[in-house]
Amino acid sequence: MPAELIKVTVNGQELQVEKGARLIDVCRENGHSIPSFCYYADLALQASCRMCLVRIEKMPKLQTSCTITCTDGMVVTTQSEEIEKAQRGMVEFLLANHPLDCPVCDRGGECELQEMVFDWGNLEERFTERKNYAPEKFLSPIVANDSQRCILCKRCTRVCDEWMGEDAIEAGGRGAHTVIGTYGGWLNCSQCGNCIEVCPTGTLLDATYRHQTRPWELNRTTSTCSFCSDGCQFSVGSRRGEVMRVVARDRYVNGHNGEFLCIKGRFAHPFVNHEERLRTPLVRYKKGGRLVPATWEEAVRFASEKLKEVIDASGGNSVGVVGSPRLTNESNWALLKFAREVLGTDKYTATEAFSLVPFFENLSAPLATHRDIRHAKTILLIGGEPEELQPLTGRAIRQAVRNGGAKLVIVNSAPIRLKQQAAQFIHVRPGTEDAAVLALASPGDADAAARKLGVESDEIARASQLISETAGDCVVLFGGELSAEAQTVLARLPSAFGEKEGRRFLLHPLPLFNNSVGVHDLGFMSGAYNPLEILDAAGADVRALYVAGGFLPAHLEGREEALGKLDLLIVQELFLTETAAAADVVFPAASFAEVDGTFTNNGGLVQRVRQSISPVHQSKPDWAITSQLAAALGRDLGFQMSSSNIFLEIARNVPAYEGLRYPLLKDESQPVQVRHALNAGGDGASLVGNLRDAVAALEASGEKIDQTPPVGHELFKLGVLTSKVPQFHLLAAGNPEPESVLISPLYQITVDPALRRASAAGD
Amino acid sequence: MSSQFTPNNPLPQEAKVPQEIAVFSPEVEAEMDRHLAKYPVKRSAILPLMFIVQRERGGYLDPPGVAYLADRLGVRITDIWEVATFYSMINTEPVGKYHLQVCKTLSCKIMGAGRVTAKCTERLGIKPGQTTEDGMFSLSEVECLGSCGTAPMMQIGFDYYENLTDEKVDEIINKCQGGELSNGVR
Amino acid sequence: MFIGAIGCEPLQLRRVLLDNSASLEVYRANGGYEALQKVLNGMSPDDVIGEVKKSALRGRGGAGFPTGMKWGFVPKDSPKPKYVVCNADESEPGTFKDRYLMERDPHMLIEGMLIAAYALGARTNYVYTRGEYRYLIEIMDVALAEARAAGLLGEKILGTDFNCEIYTHTGAGAYICGEETALLNSLEGLRGHPRMKPPFPAVAGLYGCPTVVNNVETLTAVPDIIKMGGEAYQKLGTEKSGGTKVWSVSGHVNRPGVYELPMGYDDMEKFILEDCQGILGGKQLKAVIPGGSSVYIMPAADIVGKDVRMDYEGLVAAGSSVGSGGFIVMDETVDIFESTKNLTEFYKHESCGWCTPCREGTDWLVKVFKRIESGEGRPDDAQLLLDIVDNIEGKSFCPLGDAASWPIQSAIKKFPEDFRRKVLNGNGHVKDGLPTA
Ligand SMILES: Cc1cc2nc3c(=O)[nH]c(=O)nc-3n(C[C@H](O)[C@H](O)[C@H](O)COP(=O)(O)O)c2cc1C
Ligand code: SF4
Ligand code: FES
Repeated sequence: MPAELIKVTVNGQELQVEKGARLIDVCRENGHSIPSFCYYADLALQASCRMCLVRIEKMPKLQTSCTITCTDGMVVTTQSEEIEKAQRGMVEFLLANHPLDCPVCDRGGECELQEMVFDWGNLEERFTERKNYAPEKFLSPIVANDSQRCILCKRCTRVCDEWMGEDAIEAGGRGAHTVIGTYGGWLNCSQCGNCIEVCPTGTLLDATYRHQTRPWELNRTTSTCSFCSDGCQFSVGSRRGEVMRVVARDRYVNGHNGEFLCIKGRFAHPFVNHEERLRTPLVRYKKGGRLVPATWEEAVRFASEKLKEVIDASGGNSVGVVGSPRLTNESNWALLKFAREVLGTDKYTATEAFSLVPFFENLSAPLATHRDIRHAKTILLIGGEPEELQPLTGRAIRQAVRNGGAKLVIVNSAPIRLKQQAAQFIHVRPGTEDAAVLALASPGDADAAARKLGVESDEIARASQLISETAGDCVVLFGGELSAEAQTVLARLPSAFGEKEGRRFLLHPLPLFNNSVGVHDLGFMSGAYNPLEILDAAGADVRALYVAGGFLPAHLEGREEALGKLDLLIVQELFLTETAAAADVVFPAASFAEVDGTFTNNGGLVQRVRQSISPVHQSKPDWAITSQLAAALGRDLGFQMSSSNIFLEIARNVPAYEGLRYPLLKDESQPVQVRHALNAGGDGASLVGNLRDAVAALEASGEKIDQTPPVGHELFKLGVLTSKVPQFHLLAAGNPEPESVLISPLYQITVDPALRRASAAGD
Repeated sequence: MSSQFTPNNPLPQEAKVPQEIAVFSPEVEAEMDRHLAKYPVKRSAILPLMFIVQRERGGYLDPPGVAYLADRLGVRITDIWEVATFYSMINTEPVGKYHLQVCKTLSCKIMGAGRVTAKCTERLGIKPGQTTEDGMFSLSEVECLGSCGTAPMMQIGFDYYENLTDEKVDEIINKCQGGELSNGVR
Repeated sequence: MFIGAIGCEPLQLRRVLLDNSASLEVYRANGGYEALQKVLNGMSPDDVIGEVKKSALRGRGGAGFPTGMKWGFVPKDSPKPKYVVCNADESEPGTFKDRYLMERDPHMLIEGMLIAAYALGARTNYVYTRGEYRYLIEIMDVALAEARAAGLLGEKILGTDFNCEIYTHTGAGAYICGEETALLNSLEGLRGHPRMKPPFPAVAGLYGCPTVVNNVETLTAVPDIIKMGGEAYQKLGTEKSGGTKVWSVSGHVNRPGVYELPMGYDDMEKFILEDCQGILGGKQLKAVIPGGSSVYIMPAADIVGKDVRMDYEGLVAAGSSVGSGGFIVMDETVDIFESTKNLTEFYKHESCGWCTPCREGTDWLVKVFKRIESGEGRPDDAQLLLDIVDNIEGKSFCPLGDAASWPIQSAIKKFPEDFRRKVLNGNGHVKDGLPTA
């Protein structure tokens, strides 16, 4: 339905605008600039900075354009002496107690307050009184705070509440003593740092980046996060081969690939230039000997010779190849090609936490992007903990409910925090999530399923009805709790509900890694073995392994001996992980920041990873290492040292990627979704039957978890990469406030040093 | 990468956020229940409950008191903080047993509020904003208390003392020191 | 302290001097709850609103908005619950009338609220009283319990099917919570920041439901309006300012107190010199702030011999306004620079901090005042004060910013000498940025 158009006149220009449009947006979209600080699209209105004043005919006072809804015939002036005087007055007020310490402020050069003053110029400083003083401090291991610089626009408190649902940072005090902060002065939250991102001044700052560089010295590269399957895009700031910081791609774009980042995306990048990164190839010349540094030439020669020996002795099919859901599609493709064409082995897999193959094989509806989730009408979340494991998905769900009025149904064994937003929370016994899928797909089994789940059967019926009644998008999300049988049925859930006018089903898996969907798409998860099986076969029909990245701790648990049984283990890695330490040859691989390529996220968006620094030390992109190894074995993988060629090859061979090329992925604001085949044919009834049997066999004695798991219970767990960031150790230890960092090294400029002493003495 | 945080730094195990939660007698709980019953939304009772907790916890919202409130009202600790620090009658720091609050706004000012404050300072040896060492008295200057027609005045706890003169202030302080006067906290 | 009516029969103050005036017994013996009975005996909600409209009653909280019109804004067909909230936050410097109305005659407020609730379809109602007035909350609680026991509150009031509850609520020290939307935030357990308008409380107020916020004195006028009829009530005052008004008189007069005057009382000079028995110690009148701290200050010259009528129109004509009726009298010893500084400190202390101009502006103003006082005044300081105030006035989120501006604007305009003297005592030579009186 086209919106009704009304007439609004801005500075003499007649405009046709949609009824209900916000005046500030209308003015800006039509080239009439309006200054503002507190206004931020899609956040609750604040109208406190009073910068956006305009004159509207027939209204007595200047009006804040951020709060005005256009009405027909409205006549607006955005520029006049009166307005400029008022706006300059506001900036003068904001600068009154502002320390004007731009030379030592990390935000200098990208500070909205500074820009405003710069744009206007000619600002007379009439405030000659003592400025109010407050010391710099840390609010958490990664959020630094200089409250003197605060202009109280409260973007931070609003994102914390509206996006994250955490309400961790708030305004306290009153009047001129209002401060942004927390009880006890210490932030206990998921440390996403979005408050830092939206802060227009240098009040909230990235503590890991403080005083390290000036923003204009940074090279900025748009790339994709390498931590979770949401695949947020961001801007990597680097200087002379070092990644200095990560910020949102565009802090004003609200939505996927916009401003949002979680703690890992924003703060966990220091692993890139970490001193423990592997510097050179390493070779263990004799079993039982030590790994010693070697040249590339030497290491590749050694690896290829040993590999040849194994192939000669036991055949190519005795060599296993292990890819990684953390690597680019390009690197995984190179490995897969190596496995299939150089070795001719079917013993390949990737170090994925759980396989989505049954899901993708039975997919009957498209994947939901985060934008789809944000605008969905009904959301069903079975298992999973998106706020901890896929934070952008968590936020999209929350906003769908809070801003879009979506109905959220959660099936979980614990009252996860998203429960606050849920229309219905179905609290099930741990490990029985499969039964919920069965009950939804087959109402006849609902009673039996409910008994397994430990819920009333009408709870399932209510959820079912909510889904049936959806007008608009219904998104079904699921976590790693589901078995293969349940994934199969879930992927076909849309057909169980049947067609309904105006309702569309979308599916959204919640795998754990940045390229989990990519490894599935390429077929890496469809080899003869899964990661556990391949380890179990070590020393038996698997004589050698070629591993990119490392096995997960969960894989190696109870299989510590497996790697030792191999005749040959070749590993390419960033660090000397458990897997690498057991290897005969270790190749130093380049991290996401050092390579070009693509990741495919859980919404099926294929997104660019761009090189922002040259590979550190002697490391190389994984695909280049694989090519080199292939070359040593006398095979040319044919990539001509260019990742774009590999991507072209993927596009030719993987149907979902057909027709894609890097240039088509250039515009980050228009992300491209791969076209997964929809395969809902076949015998649905027998699949439900399989699930029924699986559910019948389920052990259903687990206790439901009554406590809401604390913020950070998954997010702050130390992994190989996050353990390289000191701050994560504090967070993992429960975020205690270290006495020693309360007062950071002071670089504050105060008009009157006496003031600082007075206040230190408890003024 | 420079960082003040390294894994090798010994971590103090205590965070300032309260772990301990205050407990109250059944009578006090019932008093709170009466307030909570007035509103369709629990959070509405935040101010009445703060007054009670403050009274029971020795005059201010100590960390266990704050934790109690958050728990009782089903809100976050920081929600308690943001509200507590907005209202001038909610104390987030300890105050003396007798809290002398002298009105300093215009009507009282022109009728001699300055003398009242001076007298208190002279008697107690503390300036506005301070508390005596024995924790008996705190002195504050506050804004208009709605006693302008009976100025100058001060409030002790919730009790009003109006039309003050030097003699009256003397007498009041004597009585406080002798424990003969209620501290007006209810 | 005096309490009583001058120039008219006491209406609001009819019972205040009786023994035990706060009791239900005394209230009923003196005409109490007759209006409620009359309403429940057959007036429709619209009838009630009609009478209030006819009465020309204007809100006594400070803004003077016509009460009947405000009640008329409440949507009748809204399925949401509705609320009447009594604004007993009384924190405007110089104002203490609500305190005595509640202390001496709490049932009058209860009856007024019940009638308002009946007219507006509200079933749950709150009296938001400033936290410092704890003893008044206790008095109200006793009166409410009495009323409940007597079937005047709760279910089936006076045997009809009208059900209604009133609860007391406490503030905790914040002037801004007298502003009606800040009051609602505070009542919801939030920080007392004002809310954006629109939506107005009549449409979306407490818990997002239609809500009317009225001052104590406004609500206590309602029983009499119903009893005598809106027209008769209006005739007690003037055409546009109906009824009587209760003034709080403080400062340098011989008889401060709570005075009920008919609207249009003639004139202010007589009121000060005769009714309030003249200036303390036989000194000269210097200035009056007639409507609580937030209105323009009036120099004696604008009062003496000027026949200033004491009602909304009369005070505007005389260069000020009724505001909350907090009548502060200052004698010749008062330095208007100092009195203005005192009030500016009040506004700085009470600014909620939400919006830039009020938060930063009042802080700056106080700093300038303090600097001048310490002898560091500069010639252009008065102009600086005026400029700062100009950047606050009309640009703040709520009227507190304006309220902080007006005392300064009027003081510098009307008492330039007091400012000039301060600046001169500072560094000496002054190029004079000040207007001459
Ligand atoms: C800063 C500020 C403070 C106010 N304080 C009070 C107050 O203490 N008591 C009051 O009744 N109204 C006060 N008001 C006026 C209220 O906003 C509102 O107009 C009044 O409660 C409406 O009731 P009425 O129509 O009966 O006057 C204040 C307004 C502002 C802007
Ligand atoms: S004018 Fe602004 S800062 Fe002042 S009280 Fe109103 S909203 Fe708060
Ligand atoms: S000025 Fe002191 S009570 Fe009002």
